[in-house]
Amino acid sequence: MILLAFVSNGNARMRARLVGPVRMACLVFSLLMLVLTTGMFFRYFGDVTWMDIGFNEYEFEHKYTWVESLGINWAVGLDALSFPMVWLTTFLLPVTIIATWNEKHGATYFPLLLMMGGALIGVFVSLDLFMFYVFWELTLIPMFFLILKWGGKDRKYASQKFFIYTFTASVVMLLGLITLYFLQDPYSLASSGTMTGRSFSIPELIDNARANNIGDNWYLGAQMQKILFVMLMIGFLVKLPAVPFHTWLPDAHVQAPTGGSMLLAGVMLKMGAYGMFRLPISLFPHALYHFQLALMIIGMVSLVWGAIVCLGQTNLKKMVAYSSVSHMGVILIGIATMQPMGWAAALFMMFAHGIISPMLFAVCGAFKHHYHSMEIGAMRGMAKHSPWLATSMMFAWMASLGLPLLAGFVAEIMMLIALWKMISVDGWSIWWMVGPALVLALTAAYYLWSMQRTIFEGGEDTQPPASMKGHAIPDISNSEKFAMLILALFTIIFGVLPWIALDMMDDWTIQAFEGLIIPLLKGGA
Amino acid sequence: MSTVQNVEPFGDGFIAALCPELIIFAGLLALIIIPNIGKGTFRIPGTQTRVMWLFGGERFKITSNPKMPAWIATITLGAAFVQTILSFQDGVDRTAIVTESGTQLLLVNGFSRVFEMIFFGALTLAAFASMNRLEVKGIGPKLSTDDLYNNRRQADFYILMLTCGLGMSVVALAQDLFVLFIGLELASFSTYVLVAFYKESKVGTEAGMKYFIVGSVASGVGLYGLSMLYLWAGSLQFDVLAAQFVINGTDPLPLIGIGFVLVGFGFKVSAAPFHFAAPDAYAGASSPVAGILATASKAMGIIGLIRMLLIVASPEASEDGTVWLTLLGIISLVTMTWGNIAALGSTNPKRMLAYSSVAHAGYMLAAITAIGAWNWDDSLAGEPGEAAVAVLTAVIFHLVVLVAFKLGAFLVLSVLESDGDASRLSSLGGLAKREPFLAVAMFIFMISLAGVPPLAGFVSKLLVIMGIVKVAIGQMGAEIMAGGDYGLADVHWVWWLALAMVINSAISMFYYLRVGVVMFFEEPEEGRTGPLPAGWQVRFAILACLMATLFMGVASDQLLEICEVAAKSLNYSWN
Repeated sequence: MILLAFVSNGNARMRARLVGPVRMACLVFSLLMLVLTTGMFFRYFGDVTWMDIGFNEYEFEHKYTWVESLGINWAVGLDALSFPMVWLTTFLLPVTIIATWNEKHGATYFPLLLMMGGALIGVFVSLDLFMFYVFWELTLIPMFFLILKWGGKDRKYASQKFFIYTFTASVVMLLGLITLYFLQDPYSLASSGTMTGRSFSIPELIDNARANNIGDNWYLGAQMQKILFVMLMIGFLVKLPAVPFHTWLPDAHVQAPTGGSMLLAGVMLKMGAYGMFRLPISLFPHALYHFQLALMIIGMVSLVWGAIVCLGQTNLKKMVAYSSVSHMGVILIGIATMQPMGWAAALFMMFAHGIISPMLFAVCGAFKHHYHSMEIGAMRGMAKHSPWLATSMMFAWMASLGLPLLAGFVAEIMMLIALWKMISVDGWSIWWMVGPALVLALTAAYYLWSMQRTIFEGGEDTQPPASMKGHAIPDISNSEKFAMLILALFTIIFGVLPWIALDMMDDWTIQAFEGLIIPLLKGGA
Repeated sequence: MSTVQNVEPFGDGFIAALCPELIIFAGLLALIIIPNIGKGTFRIPGTQTRVMWLFGGERFKITSNPKMPAWIATITLGAAFVQTILSFQDGVDRTAIVTESGTQLLLVNGFSRVFEMIFFGALTLAAFASMNRLEVKGIGPKLSTDDLYNNRRQADFYILMLTCGLGMSVVALAQDLFVLFIGLELASFSTYVLVAFYKESKVGTEAGMKYFIVGSVASGVGLYGLSMLYLWAGSLQFDVLAAQFVINGTDPLPLIGIGFVLVGFGFKVSAAPFHFAAPDAYAGASSPVAGILATASKAMGIIGLIRMLLIVASPEASEDGTVWLTLLGIISLVTMTWGNIAALGSTNPKRMLAYSSVAHAGYMLAAITAIGAWNWDDSLAGEPGEAAVAVLTAVIFHLVVLVAFKLGAFLVLSVLESDGDASRLSSLGGLAKREPFLAVAMFIFMISLAGVPPLAGFVSKLLVIMGIVKVAIGQMGAEIMAGGDYGLADVHWVWWLALAMVINSAISMFYYLRVGVVMFFEEPEEGRTGPLPAGWQVRFAILACLMATLFMGVASDQLLEICEVAAKSLNYSWN
């Protein structure tokens, strides 16, 4: 895509020595991209109605042959599934740059952020399995360095753990992709490679799969479909991360610099959910039905376990990281409900969490930056000392626990409705409601409790923490204030007017249901 | 397809066909002669007349320049390399060098050309980079004896490099097991001495000795196997042996013979039970030489394996030809796992690279196993040779790009060696602060070895996995389209080798990343600060490796075509 060219050009030019110009240039480039994607939404660039794109149809498609003999193409395009994610990435980049305006070693830090953004956009826009995988792995490298160079005390351990966990999962996914590639009927697709006779093209694969996933007929046969579904899901579940594979996330987050955390939580986790929708779900709906219960259980466990662990955390950032695990559980449950509403909830959760969690981590970053500690008990009476930080913290916490009229609430309520629908229409046990209900209480509990301990307790007579070494307690800087304000503003916008993004997601899920699930249920018709 | 053009030695077209080898040969002669040119005179017997005949005596300033041999070798190898590349430009012709009785000795085709490309490319880079490694103690008559020896050593080192290249290209060309063996030994002996050449360090001599002893035992066993094959077939020609195998390949004699021959080649590629000398040799040799061992020498061993397993005991010919399959599969599994696990525990970067080289040998053995597995089920098999070409293309591609990043990694270590030593992981400490370019290059080589996109190592690993999966799945896709239902139990077991490969890649990530961590985030060792002393040549070679690693990763199409041509030219019936 044009955006990608922008990013790579930007990177090449930004190897200058001086921090100031580099930072400025990065900001300008990221803002340009934001303008471009926003313009796409408001139809200034390219006249696209985001509402009427059918399932497996793409806008702004571009395709160039890359490796002809293997059927690899440089194919990009956008649809209502990927566009919100791309917009989110371009939105978060400038915000992240602003929020971490004073990061040290800026001449390499900001270009790395931008590179990261480029790779993320690459994942979202690619319509070719090979390209998808390349960008998927490419996101690891800048993140690895962000954690390694700007991270906390245990950054070596955290960055390697992060890299190895996700790399292991994605090589399993890669083997699944290759097996899928060779299971195609040779020369059945338009962009098949001259040497292998198979194609990496995602749209063509999905079309092919749809043509064969009718009634009781499984694309690639029942056994293979299940195996491939599991192999691909391993890659995406680790990235998400779902509970048995989640342990890399808290480590990575606690050690990562603020900017890294913001992008990691904001967009990188969504890669997992995005990948699920794009590949296994679109290709293997039969297997999705087969593993519905398993996904539901994993989702529930993530949701509840994440929340329970949060209660016991004394480290602010670790708590936020586990709350991410909990929220990712919501996405999985949304998918597993097999209701259009549930899928839309998952998509909107991706989006909403993409705006809220960077704010959470920005608050954590500011906290660390100003009080030199991440411990919840270290600083008390923030409301007195740093009203700005206290306010933004309160806002972010509230948004994350799902206060009505904020973005997170919309997704959660949709998920609950979908779950309820699943129970009443599909006849699942009512006990499935216990998990989410419990978590609503738990989430409120850990957020409110931590707020109480940091913001309100103490007051007039509170001493600054020992880690301050007697310095005066500052409030957050102007750039941080600005970033928080923007994030808060958008949290409100998407909470009050969710349909701006939700309409297009709804549209995609309905189209996907018509394209994928209905043919299965209808039988051989 | 064009037919083979037969050429007798020194007949028409001989020079065109064997141009790279003849260039090397000329270079070899030049390297022997030129340093000896001096003001020597010759007294005609019975008279007092002295005739200048230019040999011996006081050397001229140019010819005695100790840097001279390095330049001659580099230019020679480089010219041979360019000549090989050029031969791809207007389609590779097939030329066989035959004896008077019409037996094929050497065959020039796409296959041999691409391997010549690997050998000469690796040797050119190594020779160029070695200019900074062998110390030159100045020029002139005032040097001490030691220094003179040292300067004299220059010529020896590069002569060995050239003979090594010559032997290797003979292996690539050979159409006869005996010729192949001669080439193998020529190259092997050169490498034994090259390993021992690093006499500045004590381990060098020891490593050379160890490598020599184990290597000659392996060669001896291989030779014994050859004699058994000769006893059985009465010939060592590949096509004769292959024809015999179709008829009675399950006789115990040839099977034992092949087993012995495989030991010989297994040593060269450092496959699992025969790999013990490799880490010592790599660690003891100077880094450019270790780089040659890990790239060119290994490619030579792979040629041997391919020739033996695919051409001679051709699995396409008979079901029984796959008798070695299970064993090879086990060897490959053990090799890759052992290599990776041993690499995890090694703190010497050169040993680590050696073990990673063992692991890579395992990956390639897995690919070769997959070719042998092709005939596993008639109902699922496709066109003959289709899978073999896919897998071979992958193996050849891997060997080509391996030169870029494996040799590159060794060259970075070579720069460090010129600063002291590179035998501890901590020697790499703080490299990012001392020489950012080298650190970035090393990091890219490492993650390319690990197989991270979009680098060349990823493409090659992907191709190998794709080849294996393709064989394992066969025509299952079409069967499924016809309504069949298959699971993993129906997939050939080589699929599990592919799984083992990806898991091993993940394991290998640990030690490759560790190098990056040490370079970027640890302080240099005591007393080692500032930029490194090595000259521009080695940096240039590293830059070339770096560019190749990046370029082959994103624009692999052309090289892939070349490799495909090479794979197809191995067996004419595959076209």
